[in-house]
Amino acid sequence: MTDRTKAPLPGPPRPYHFPDVTRTTLANGLRVLLARTHNAPLVSMRALIRSGADHDQPELAGVASITADLLDEGAGSRDAIRLAEDIGLLGATMGTGADWDASYASLDVLARYANQAMEIFADVTTRPQLPAEGLERVRAERLNDLLQQRDEPSMIAAKRFSGLLYGKGPYGFPMSGTMESVPKIGLDHVRDFYRQHYVPNNASVIVSGDLEPEHALKLVEGALGDWGRGTEPPRPSPIPKEIEGNRIYLIDRPAAVQSEIRIGHIGVSRSSSDYFALSVMNALLGGIFNSRINLNLREKHGYTYGARSMFAFRRSAGPFVVAAPVRNEVTKESVHEVLSELRRIRTGDVEDRELHDTKSYLMGVFPATVQTASDIASRLLDMELYGLPENYFDRYRENIGAISKADIERVAKKYIDPDRAVIVIVGNAKQVREPLGTLGYPIHELDIDGNAIA
Amino acid sequence: MLNLEQYELGNGLRVVLNEDHTSPLVAINLWYHVGSKNERPGRTGFAHLFEHMLFSGSEHVGNNEHFRYVQSVGGVLNGSTSFDRTNYYETLPSNYLALGLWLESDRMGFFLPALTQEKFDIQREVVKEERRQHYDNVPYGTSFERLLNLAYDPDFPYQWPTIGSMEDLGAASLDDVRNFFTTWYRPDNCTLTVVGDFATDDAKRLIEEYFSEIAPGGTFPEFTAERKPLGGERREVFTSPVQLPRIYRLYHLPKMGAPDWIYGDLLSTVLAADKASRLDRVLVHEKQIAQDVAAYILPTEASGMLMMQATAREGVSIETIEAAIDEEIARLVNDGVTEDEMIRARNRAEIEHAHHLENYDERADIIGMFTTFFDDPQVVNTWLEPYENATAADITRVAREYLVAENRATSLFLPEGQPS
Repeated sequence: MTDRTKAPLPGPPRPYHFPDVTRTTLANGLRVLLARTHNAPLVSMRALIRSGADHDQPELAGVASITADLLDEGAGSRDAIRLAEDIGLLGATMGTGADWDASYASLDVLARYANQAMEIFADVTTRPQLPAEGLERVRAERLNDLLQQRDEPSMIAAKRFSGLLYGKGPYGFPMSGTMESVPKIGLDHVRDFYRQHYVPNNASVIVSGDLEPEHALKLVEGALGDWGRGTEPPRPSPIPKEIEGNRIYLIDRPAAVQSEIRIGHIGVSRSSSDYFALSVMNALLGGIFNSRINLNLREKHGYTYGARSMFAFRRSAGPFVVAAPVRNEVTKESVHEVLSELRRIRTGDVEDRELHDTKSYLMGVFPATVQTASDIASRLLDMELYGLPENYFDRYRENIGAISKADIERVAKKYIDPDRAVIVIVGNAKQVREPLGTLGYPIHELDIDGNAIA
Repeated sequence: MLNLEQYELGNGLRVVLNEDHTSPLVAINLWYHVGSKNERPGRTGFAHLFEHMLFSGSEHVGNNEHFRYVQSVGGVLNGSTSFDRTNYYETLPSNYLALGLWLESDRMGFFLPALTQEKFDIQREVVKEERRQHYDNVPYGTSFERLLNLAYDPDFPYQWPTIGSMEDLGAASLDDVRNFFTTWYRPDNCTLTVVGDFATDDAKRLIEEYFSEIAPGGTFPEFTAERKPLGGERREVFTSPVQLPRIYRLYHLPKMGAPDWIYGDLLSTVLAADKASRLDRVLVHEKQIAQDVAAYILPTEASGMLMMQATAREGVSIETIEAAIDEEIARLVNDGVTEDEMIRARNRAEIEHAHHLENYDERADIIGMFTTFFDDPQVVNTWLEPYENATAADITRVAREYLVAENRATSLFLPEGQPS
């Protein structure tokens, strides 16, 4: 009979190496990163433009993301449909987009078509047509998206939460724009944003996958070497709002059968020297399945299908947020449990085992998250965006391994504040209003656009 | 070509090994050949609820300890339930292969002693929240459920979604859990696939050690349900709190793997996959009457389905959208699929398959699927052949034969307060 009473011991650990990365900068300032992988006949190409929605003016919110959407509405000599046809003929998929920190173009392709795909990739990144009829189409699509989001509780909660933390400035308005801002965006705004920010000295290109680096470099040089330099744009800074004490913001959805809860405040930037301590602390608190908040709300109480906490590490301090959808009847209890967990993590009450398990998860999971060419490209993209050192992935385990209980307590006290939190509830006000009142925090009722309801 | 080693243990457990030392990882993947199609009326949602229970501990593994064992060594894990199967999987650093096999064998062979009413009650609540989060509290959330209700008769068990109904979830008992486990969770109803960084002989020895003493089930209830023809289009109009009207269609197809299912897969790409595909190009790009369109087929074993949907732009009626879809289908049937479209559709199938094989987790999962559905893991190496051999005429014929009103269910979601 097999002895099942004890978990089997591991064998000796096998070494893991992040693929070698070839780095170079072209004469026009474009940074190029190349990584060879061997597990599939696929190649991933990524362009990173180090400017995103953080450059949007509040009254013109949406310019960065609409510019990105327009990249593949015609580029080089191809119109939008021809471009999609030619991408399809190469067995490729293409995507473009923007977030707060950056804008992106990505193309994944069968390796045998990498040469032709690079031409299209370069056209989209450096020679988009940004046509008037494309803008009108994308604008209409965006306005319809915004309309649909008015019925999506998680979207309503996220928008209100950001607005309450950052007000009308960057990080506060939606990256995708608003019903008011999107109609005001003109072709000039889009073309100006493109001209100012899509310049090689504000960009990096990454090619990973089944392609020799020397060959990949030739392709990049050939396709992107003549991309004209510009002026590196300035970096804007979001301005946080002052939060004086816990406040509940209740947004009514009369038909809701769940409350979407968001609890949090402003967090910390990606460049923080406490990044590793915060990563461990958050994973233990609510970042993974076996974290305190999920075990409490889901596995102990059955309040939710899943509860999570996260720090949005951006170029400037993004939010710290706990998110959970819970059934109406346990809304107050869930808020109470989350706040209790936020208080407990600050007391330094951390068991040896949970600290060990969490660190060991973070140290061990890395190889499983970088199996594909596209995974590797994403990691390199992060490295470029946040200026991480070249040995970052090699030193990651060591940096996580060094985190102690004292570090957890220190960063929890410094970066988590359960007494100055914004608490957003999108749910059935009639059912949850009264119980929430017993928590003793002021309740402000808002409509889904954030206007106070008298 | 993937190099596969396949064999069966004495108790009927099917094993497929794919040794690959690219990454220092192992992906362990179990496909139990049971899903919501094996549920009985009154207990819909049970296969999925049961899946949750299998994470709540077994004789030698405490509640939530399964997750802890895997995560605390840097592993990732989950499970999922569909109509035909339930899968459980973890990807671990490769020196923890034995740990993963120990965990999976414990819940396969020694689950019942750890079962309690309390754990069951908690997971029932969790699953109800899952249903609320993904179905009841979001726009269009019940669309799939409504479409299945319409497209199948109650005697065919694709008639309900795997999440099941609130009422049935509430009615499930601990005895149901015991019976379900005893009936279905046996080694001879399971395929174990292991992909990654191990020596095949070592893996075989460990699998023998952990799984061979688990008793087989012997016989399993036979699946005999047959889908009857619809006897005409089935339609439903439903008003709900959504902003934009949306049309959902389900066209019946033969089961997964049949030639016409493969052609249906290619057809769905021709219809809606990118801006150049037919419905996208005309409805979204040229006429700009639709906000989005989609067409795809599901990997189902007992009967196939091609799903289609389109959302109307603000101010556009759903009739306009439906007429435009039908016009494009008629055009495709009359003029035929072009050679360029064939190349693009085949390429897309090829790149999707390559992506599935690229990481160990997904590779193990599709090998498990091919072994379960087709009794042959080698299908993973030949899967694209029928796609490569498909002709434009095949696709056009499938469109003509299957994309007809008598073969579909149509569900219209309209905003509240608008005339239907």
